[in-house]
Amino acid sequence: MRQDDKSSQRRIEITRELTIPKLFLEQTRHYGREKVAMREKEFGIWRPITWRDYYERVKYIALGMVKLGLEPGDKVSMIGDNRPEGLWGEMGALCAGGVGVWLFQDSLMEEVKYIINHSDTTFLVGEGQEEVDKAIAIIDDCPRLKKVIWDDPKGMRNYDQDYLISLQEVMELGRRLDAEQPDLFEKLATQGHGDDVALLFYTSGTTSLPKGVLLSHWNMLSMGKNLMAVDPRYDTDDYVSYLPFAWIGEQMMSISCGLQRGYTLNFPEEPETAQENIREIGPHVMFAPPRMYEQMTRTVQVKYLDSGWIKRKCYEMAAKIGYHNADLKFKKKPIPWHWRALGWLAEMGVHKKLKDHLGLSRVCHAYTGGAAMGPDHFRFFHAMGVNLKQIYGQTEIGGISIVHRDGDIKFDTVGLPIPETEVTITEEGEIMAKSPSVFLGYYKNPEATEETLQDGWLASGDRGFIDDDGHLVVFDRSKDVMTLSDGRPFSPQYLETRLKFSPYIRDSWVIGDKRPYVTAVVCIDYSVVGNWADEKKLTYTSYPELSQKTEVYDLVERQVAQANKDLPESARIAKFVNLYKEFDADDDELTRTRKLRRAFVSERYKDILEALYGERDMVHIDTTITYEDGRKSHIKTDLKIRKLL
Amino acid sequence: MSTFLPCGTYHETYAQDHAFWQTRFIRGKMILLALVAFIAVPFFLTDYLSEFILFIYWSLGALGVQLLIGYCGQLTLGHAAFLAVGAYASFLIMAMPWPQFMLDMGVVYPLVLLISGVIAGIWCVIFGLPSARVKGFYLILTTMAAQFITVDFFIAKYISQIGGRQQDLTLSSDLVKFGPWTVDTKRDIYYFGLILTILMGFMVVNYIRSKPGRAWVAIRDNDIAAESMGINITLYKLQAFFVSGFIGGVTGAFWGASRNIISVEDFTFGKSLWLVGIILIGGVGSIHGVFFGAAFMVFMIWALQEIVGMVGGTGNIIYYKEIAFGLAICGFLLFEPNGLAYRWWQSKNYFNLWPFSY
Repeated sequence: MRQDDKSSQRRIEITRELTIPKLFLEQTRHYGREKVAMREKEFGIWRPITWRDYYERVKYIALGMVKLGLEPGDKVSMIGDNRPEGLWGEMGALCAGGVGVWLFQDSLMEEVKYIINHSDTTFLVGEGQEEVDKAIAIIDDCPRLKKVIWDDPKGMRNYDQDYLISLQEVMELGRRLDAEQPDLFEKLATQGHGDDVALLFYTSGTTSLPKGVLLSHWNMLSMGKNLMAVDPRYDTDDYVSYLPFAWIGEQMMSISCGLQRGYTLNFPEEPETAQENIREIGPHVMFAPPRMYEQMTRTVQVKYLDSGWIKRKCYEMAAKIGYHNADLKFKKKPIPWHWRALGWLAEMGVHKKLKDHLGLSRVCHAYTGGAAMGPDHFRFFHAMGVNLKQIYGQTEIGGISIVHRDGDIKFDTVGLPIPETEVTITEEGEIMAKSPSVFLGYYKNPEATEETLQDGWLASGDRGFIDDDGHLVVFDRSKDVMTLSDGRPFSPQYLETRLKFSPYIRDSWVIGDKRPYVTAVVCIDYSVVGNWADEKKLTYTSYPELSQKTEVYDLVERQVAQANKDLPESARIAKFVNLYKEFDADDDELTRTRKLRRAFVSERYKDILEALYGERDMVHIDTTITYEDGRKSHIKTDLKIRKLL
Repeated sequence: MSTFLPCGTYHETYAQDHAFWQTRFIRGKMILLALVAFIAVPFFLTDYLSEFILFIYWSLGALGVQLLIGYCGQLTLGHAAFLAVGAYASFLIMAMPWPQFMLDMGVVYPLVLLISGVIAGIWCVIFGLPSARVKGFYLILTTMAAQFITVDFFIAKYISQIGGRQQDLTLSSDLVKFGPWTVDTKRDIYYFGLILTILMGFMVVNYIRSKPGRAWVAIRDNDIAAESMGINITLYKLQAFFVSGFIGGVTGAFWGASRNIISVEDFTFGKSLWLVGIILIGGVGSIHGVFFGAAFMVFMIWALQEIVGMVGGTGNIIYYKEIAFGLAICGFLLFEPNGLAYRWWQSKNYFNLWPFSY
């Protein structure tokens, strides 16, 4: 980690007047051709794009959009993988006075249509053929959509709809407009005010249709400022942008912090190569939902099982030392010198290399947020020496209100409020927060706004409490908190994250609210359990078949028993069932950020639910599932129910 | 076998992507290697200088063979012929009436070295011409023909008779001059060979990572596919023969300069086989392999000599040498068909993947 001499570098004053476009102008002027603003991996190398290039592209895109008829306040939707063009589109729209809306790249047609119509989008910036096809399918139902802009020419030769236009052409229009009115861009970019709407986010509602969250420039920029007041970043840092821009966390790192501090954004070659590309870049800062860290943990656990005896023993020893030291650190106890020495050995011998494999060797701050992360995962990363910290917040508060401080990390809390942020707990136990980043309101939904915004306080809908150290502990979503048979409140999320620490379990759904005992529906990890089955010479042809193997049930039972350890009797999982499929966002079982939609799954799998609380040890499933491309498939299977002793 | 780079190593240009030593760790290793090669060996291991010179000689010779067999897939069993051409050419051209001032300035020998390389290269191309039509066993036969026609016929019967001094040609060591530097002590010869190896090594590596190298590898992997992709395979094959012959010629000249006397005995068919044996042991298709193979050879002969000396053997090392060589090749083909370079790569990988296995 770098020392304080760097913190004297230039800080940009965030005022209410400042907007993202104004900041963009200032930063591009400051860095110019000298510094790389972003890199994209293409054809094997990281093609650099300087701030000057960034400026010019955004300028022409903005002017091109103006030429095509973009009015201030118009919504511009973006869809596609993380790539510079997407960010240019967003920045161009903002500079032209528009409002940016991001869609998840894997959104289905219906979701795209809903968001485009609800947000009154006039321009859609899509990546390539796939997005254009989606747009063509829905354009008749979207009267306000004027132009669809695409940037990847692959497969686009035979498209001649007149509402389609390539990003190149848009930039050409912009170039011409710039020649006519050379000062137009500056005028447009500097005319806004910090309180204007900058971005419209659609929250992935776990219960209902997505709601549009209006965030102002001031919301976005003050959020970035306050986060970096806790953990300073430097303009020499690298960051890899690979998570959907439609997730507030990615906007937070790429725009709020990235633009403010001027660190380099790196875009992977393809979503599939992201992990490899992260390893190449070795980012200094990382923010990802727990599932990314869970995936890393699973990779390590599986590779560990497959490695040779010597390597396994070394890893085990290093892990033991790491866990011991991490636990001392969590308890804020001094580490005795001999443990320090052992820790150094473990770091040099194993952990350094481990972090190198995971692409974490240069990470100063790794954040997780967006969902709950299990304490086991948390300890795992700290044992390795990765400074992993929890972020808590909602889209409605710019993504962050609470974060762990360096050296003050407790794995069961989410940390302390960031500057300018106040947090209180209502009498019912709901977490309330107030900060400059609290959103303007829901788009076209005053009732929901009123419910959530109470005198400038944001009602989070989460249950929690503040512990003796002032740390916030988030229990669970208020509506998810379950009451156990002995009347105790309990968080199903806690048990689910514990289950997920097992590499064999990908997802789980814990049930037990006002029930005599706790049960779980488990989705095994197909590749990990598949490998395990290959080694055991078990034959299987598909996920449903593998999941119902007796041996797999035995395996999962061991994992559940492990998760049950140290839990009060009433909170232990008494019965579980292996589901015949993985939970999927396309089936509405998960949100796009992979949060379980409990109400939906309990409706969908009510047979299983009944069986879990009945006497039967088998449940018959007879259902039809629809694939993304419209194919239907009939599933008829029997699921076993396993009782734990 | 791509190189393993640590986390945080990325390239913005293709030049960076293809750079030789990309990390501080590798640069450190290279500096260490240079220190050993330039200082430790010539000053502290003086007792073993002859072995190191032999090592350099075998490495240089096998480098050309590696290029031809390992990269271009053109089997050759007559490479000693091109070494011979280089050696005899250098001696004969050196014996020409050069103006005294050029000799004094020490520009003649470098020039001669270059010319003898080119002559050997051209000679190699001549015998490579059949490769346009034939491959595999038939090409082996034509390269064997090169061996017998060149060494046993031309050189033995005619060239070595020049001057009428029986069979051997000699070269006075004070003629081997690079500018002011006269190569006459063992240490000088070692440096001469070392610099030559570095130059040739860089040349081959650069060839391999550029257009001709890619064409050669394509021809090696599948010549029909390569041709259908638009590679002029005859041209590239002949180019490979030329470069390989050039390296061979330079090696021969170095051999001559290192002992000031050459005879046909130095370039027998057996030597051609040894050169192929080196790359088999070292690893076909690997530059590292050349050096591993040469080191193995030299070490093996040295160890044999020690052992034979210890047990008080008859002293005629030559038979044991051939036996050990044959056994080594058999052993490698059976147990380590990819050669020492592969073993090296594997052991590096063991630590690169630490603490995992993949």
